[in-house]
Amino acid sequence: MLRLWLILAGIALGGLGLAQQRITIDFWHSMGGVLGEATEALVKDFNAAQNRVTVRSQFVGSYDDGLNKLRAALQAGGQGRPNVIQVYDIGARFMADSGAVLPLEDLARANNFDLSQFVPQPRNYYTVDGKLYGLAFNSSNPILYFNAQALEQAGIPYRNTWSLADLEAAARKLTIKDAAGKTTRYGLSIPIDSWFMEQFSYNSGQYFCNNENGRKARATEVTFNNPAAVAFLDTWARLVREGVAANTGRNWADSQSLFAQGQAAIAVYSTASLTGVLRQVGNRFPVRTAFYPYLRERNGTAIGGAAVYLIRGFSDEQNAASWEFIRFLLRPETQAKWIIGTGYFPVVKGVTELPSVRQAYVRQPNYTTAVRQLETSKVNTASAGCLMGGFTEIRQIVQSAIEEALRGKPAQQALDEAKQRADQVLARYNASVRQ
Amino acid sequence: MSSLPRWLARPLFYLLLGVYAWLLVLPLLSLLSASFRTEADLFTPGLLPPQPTLEAYREALAKHPILRYLLNSLVVSLAITLGVLLTSATLGYALARVRFAGQSLLFGFVVGLLLIPDEVTFLPRYLLVQELGWINSYWALIVPFLASPLGIFLMRQFIKSLPQDLFDAARIDGAGHLRTLWYVALPLAAPALGALGALSFLGAWNMYLWPLVVINQNEMKTAQIAIAQVQSVEVSSWNVVAAAAMLVLLPTLLAFLLAQRAFIRGIALGGLKG
Amino acid sequence: MINAKNSERNLQKSIPVRQAGRLGEGLEVALLLLPALLLLLVFTVWPTLNAFWLSFHRENLLGTERDWVGLSNYAEMLRDPAFWRAVGATFLFAAIVVPVQLVLGLLAALMVARPFPGVALFRTLFFLTTAVPTAVAAVAWGWYLHPIGGTLNRWLEAVGLPAQPWLTSPELALPTLAIVTAWAGVGFTAILLTAGLQQIPEDLYEAARMDGAGAWTQFWRITLPMLSPTLFLVALLTVLTSLTAFGQIHLLTRGGPMESTTVWIYRIYQDAFFNFRFSYAAAQSVALFLVLLLLAALQFRGLGRRVHYE
Repeated sequence: MLRLWLILAGIALGGLGLAQQRITIDFWHSMGGVLGEATEALVKDFNAAQNRVTVRSQFVGSYDDGLNKLRAALQAGGQGRPNVIQVYDIGARFMADSGAVLPLEDLARANNFDLSQFVPQPRNYYTVDGKLYGLAFNSSNPILYFNAQALEQAGIPYRNTWSLADLEAAARKLTIKDAAGKTTRYGLSIPIDSWFMEQFSYNSGQYFCNNENGRKARATEVTFNNPAAVAFLDTWARLVREGVAANTGRNWADSQSLFAQGQAAIAVYSTASLTGVLRQVGNRFPVRTAFYPYLRERNGTAIGGAAVYLIRGFSDEQNAASWEFIRFLLRPETQAKWIIGTGYFPVVKGVTELPSVRQAYVRQPNYTTAVRQLETSKVNTASAGCLMGGFTEIRQIVQSAIEEALRGKPAQQALDEAKQRADQVLARYNASVRQ
Repeated sequence: MSSLPRWLARPLFYLLLGVYAWLLVLPLLSLLSASFRTEADLFTPGLLPPQPTLEAYREALAKHPILRYLLNSLVVSLAITLGVLLTSATLGYALARVRFAGQSLLFGFVVGLLLIPDEVTFLPRYLLVQELGWINSYWALIVPFLASPLGIFLMRQFIKSLPQDLFDAARIDGAGHLRTLWYVALPLAAPALGALGALSFLGAWNMYLWPLVVINQNEMKTAQIAIAQVQSVEVSSWNVVAAAAMLVLLPTLLAFLLAQRAFIRGIALGGLKG
Repeated sequence: MINAKNSERNLQKSIPVRQAGRLGEGLEVALLLLPALLLLLVFTVWPTLNAFWLSFHRENLLGTERDWVGLSNYAEMLRDPAFWRAVGATFLFAAIVVPVQLVLGLLAALMVARPFPGVALFRTLFFLTTAVPTAVAAVAWGWYLHPIGGTLNRWLEAVGLPAQPWLTSPELALPTLAIVTAWAGVGFTAILLTAGLQQIPEDLYEAARMDGAGAWTQFWRITLPMLSPTLFLVALLTVLTSLTAFGQIHLLTRGGPMESTTVWIYRIYQDAFFNFRFSYAAAQSVALFLVLLLLAALQFRGLGRRVHYE
């Protein structure tokens, strides 16, 4: 009897406690537009689904804005820092080195969460020095986009796997020039972005930085002058100079407009671009997507996108609340809603078997390309992606090298020279970590 | 050239004026045109939109808190303008009309500050604002700019140029400095204040680098940096970007058309610095 | 300038005198001086000094600790090819902006300085870009120069010229940005030069006309010499603003392609907020500060002279 009373009292008190102290945690993200709406919807769902934790989400602008804001908070003694923050893929090394992150793996183990539920690539990507730091929140891959109508007219059969040589041949066939030799439809359009060089290296089984992409030990040198990257850049530059590939600069949007106007038959973007591209193309022509190209043998792409991290320095209670939010994000139903709304792909297993996801994939089969690409990728240190510091700056250097090559500098030379600069950046970063 | 007959010179002159004005406003006209297009019509040739629609404006306003951005800009620009007018009038008056030890030294100091460009001190100022906990607040956008060496300098010069006997008379009547400033100097300085106000407002409204670094919270962004935000979210929906840009342009354009005199005077007066 | 004599008496009468409530003179002076002074000390003087202090340090990854490193940031800066490229780009940029803006501004001012039927309309149009915020100007030009649908390329193609990669070619991007900048500033220049032209006494022209001087001679013999002090100031002002142009670069090219539009101030911004090298950025801003100081000192000498005229 006494026991019962105690239990009842406990429930009453507990209920009181809950009513009084719903824990609030701050979540900073960089998802604007449609993606932002989808993110806010997840937060709303979470807040409505339970009564212990309130997530206060805030859109902080670009990923770089978010990092700057985090740094500002940490420099001010941690005041105003968020519990959870979304940081882009290439910030993984920085986040681990900062010492400001509570590794996700620690929390997962403490809460008996089975880490093998994760899809391996996203897990590998955010594993630093043997420990999983962040939760891959929005993961994407590069894929090929085809103007299916142009493909058909040129008599090129659709395939989902393309070597670089095959892609080049197709691009040549798809190029249309007028009597004056001016290109009226390009065969290929690739925005100038280091990411495509990185991914081509991985997909050809090569590393972008040493020590096996910085996965065996801290990366000390870049290796973006590897044979695959050189071949890719060489082909790309040759096609641009011959008027087969368009050069629309660094702005993805300009390349997308070209593709959507039917003025480029093949394009290379992210899986996350799919919704936007389909909307922009409208019903001008059917769009088909395929796996990212490779040099000799297809290895597998690494993931891009961003992860969410838990920031240190909060009470256990707060951290538990953050974990609850993470746990919610990992639920298959949440993942299903997220990927259908955004075009990103799931990071836990079993999501693609859910009815809602299968229906969505039947409606728009192009969405399956990313998932299938991931499923058929080899899992190794190459496809884990390069882990290094100073990546933001190094990407700028690679992009300059691409621009130089497109203008006629031999690809090998451009990348060799860029490596010199990038190695300095990396050395400086590594020195600042040991400080 | 001087031998051109008048009947020919006149039309030629207007033709030249027209061509120049046309080339000058053309980029704005193509932006305006884009803002009235659908995304599908974006690349249809011609300056006139094939099927003019307000859809882009609706979308811009629905998806982005443009009015909030404009409100932020308005609050910040007004507060800075008022602050600059106040601090310029007070210190300018003191430097022109009050005798105190070290006055010429202080004036030299203000003149020296005229030489320091804002763009160069923004890094340490950022650290300072961060330490004050002002990141993502109006404080960060307003307080550092409340006193302007240029404004102080201009007001000092202006008040100094007013006849001395006015001030003597006020003194004899027993008015203190604050009263003299308020009732004698400021009414006479109204045109100068108006010009300085217009200049400060324009300068504050156009700030770009500073808000970019101290604000990374969407609802605190000023209209200027919000455009970068809209552009990065809308990616290739140029019609929506154009509509957002037109909405940001509208207030300054109206202010300029309505208060052209004050703006022109402000620029002619203060344009001597920036 | 102002009809002071007339208003003198009215003003005196209108001052309400409340001897009892008067503040002490010392307090009054303090109220006049302190707010502005404090603001200037805290937000202008202190950051300026701090820029120097920061530039002698190096920070850790998160910027939570700083070590004294003496002049090593400066030594690195002088050896850094990226820094020198940025300096080169900055001056090349200014070298295009300044003449273009001055010539176009002068042309506009010459056309609208004297009244003629419709002058108000054309003044408004010519001064209009003053009211266009940098960000809007950048978006407008971004669209105007768009590689696919841009009006300019469309027209070039219509007259049989090839479309140009205005913002995506390393040769063209910086000059293109300079034109955008000059466009945005030309209204400003036109206003200043119009004011300058209007100060030239009309009788000088009349005398010249009586001597039989044509429009061309008048321009070279009277307008240009008389306008030269204003022109000099406007030129310096344009140099200063073009050396710190930022918004249009941030919106249109982000420093690319091939870093061709990474100017000095953009480099500083990037090093501080993307590469997290605050102290190194501070060293670069101190160097920029010294260059601008030199130019501003020149401008100030001109300003002093000009103020004496008024």
